[in-house]
Amino acid sequence: MTTTGEVDSAAGGEDLEPLFDYKRVQPRMTFSFDDSDLEAADIFKHCNKRPRVQATTEEVETKPDEAAATTKVVLLDEEDWLKPPPPKAAFRASAEEDSTFRELRLKRQEWAKFAESAQDILQKMDEMTNNEVGPKEPPEQIILDEESEPPVEKAREKIVISIQDKDGHQQMRVYKDEKFDKLLKVYANKAKLNPSDLSFVFDGEKINPSSTPQDLDLEDEDMIEVRRKRS
Amino acid sequence: MSGGIARGRLAEERKAWRKNHPHGFVAKPETLPDGTVNLMIWHCTIPGKQGTDWEGGYFPLTLHFSEDYPSKPPKCKFPQGFFHPNVYPSGTVCLSILNEDSGWRPAITVKQILVGIQDLLDQPNPADPAQTDGYHLFIQDPTEYKRRVRLQAKQYPALV
Repeated sequence: MTTTGEVDSAAGGEDLEPLFDYKRVQPRMTFSFDDSDLEAADIFKHCNKRPRVQATTEEVETKPDEAAATTKVVLLDEEDWLKPPPPKAAFRASAEEDSTFRELRLKRQEWAKFAESAQDILQKMDEMTNNEVGPKEPPEQIILDEESEPPVEKAREKIVISIQDKDGHQQMRVYKDEKFDKLLKVYANKAKLNPSDLSFVFDGEKINPSSTPQDLDLEDEDMIEVRRKRS
Repeated sequence: MSGGIARGRLAEERKAWRKNHPHGFVAKPETLPDGTVNLMIWHCTIPGKQGTDWEGGYFPLTLHFSEDYPSKPPKCKFPQGFFHPNVYPSGTVCLSILNEDSGWRPAITVKQILVGIQDLLDQPNPADPAQTDGYHLFIQDPTEYKRRVRLQAKQYPALV
């Protein structure tokens, strides 16, 4: 209806004009439509990235050199401008690594100190044993030394034994092949008692002083008891 | 399968015991003549508590575990004729924590059983008598009861 009206009014002037006007309206509409579609269009995909690239360059601007580098690269194709970010990431990672390394180093120092002090204690204990009981029985050692492979380590394997009396228990580190005799003397000395008044008991049975932890199949941290002879 | 569970648990119990146990107590699985270990039967020693009439005695106790352990408690036996109000003439200990239908829980350890029985020695439960001899003396003749307890402690001296 309106179109006919327009046509009629236009018809007052020239014949083709109204039709031409009417045509113009449509392209305009599709035009704006196409405009918004442009970004999504496949052909313009690489163009779409541009705004994003600019955004990243802004972020990076704290480091002018890098920013400049990236903006330059933007002019090239996709694959090239993607490269710059990694160096930045790598730089950050190395900083983090530094701090972890520092922590690790500190930890290692701590442990080293700990190991040192532990070794000191062990040495003291060894010295004590040696002083109090004299040199270790050499004949046995010689026999053990004849064993193949790592004879020294095998021969001198140590375990921790808990020694329990009525009032509590303490732990002592002993050689697996060392006679209880020696341990008894060390213990008695510490407790200021006569070794001949004491005996060790394992599983309710008296331990023969000439036997060794190995003979009894004692394992690390096993508990033996001290009994005082009272008869 | 349940036997595997029982043996696994008993192996753990033994491991824990070797590393720590109350002083004077013994608990070890039976060793057969051929040298193999039978985890289902444990030979134990319970020392009488210091400061009680039971002091000085080291009482032998045998734990019999079933394939249903730890769902079911072990049977705990003193020697036959053991003098105590809560011990059956057969030697079996009558204690709530050892009763499947009352106090037993699978989490109870061998250590807890033995300490529990040590407590029972000096603190009999007159509400739950298991033998006439011990029960009657405990109720009617405390002096004689005491004498019998001390006598029994002497019958089981320390082996070491």
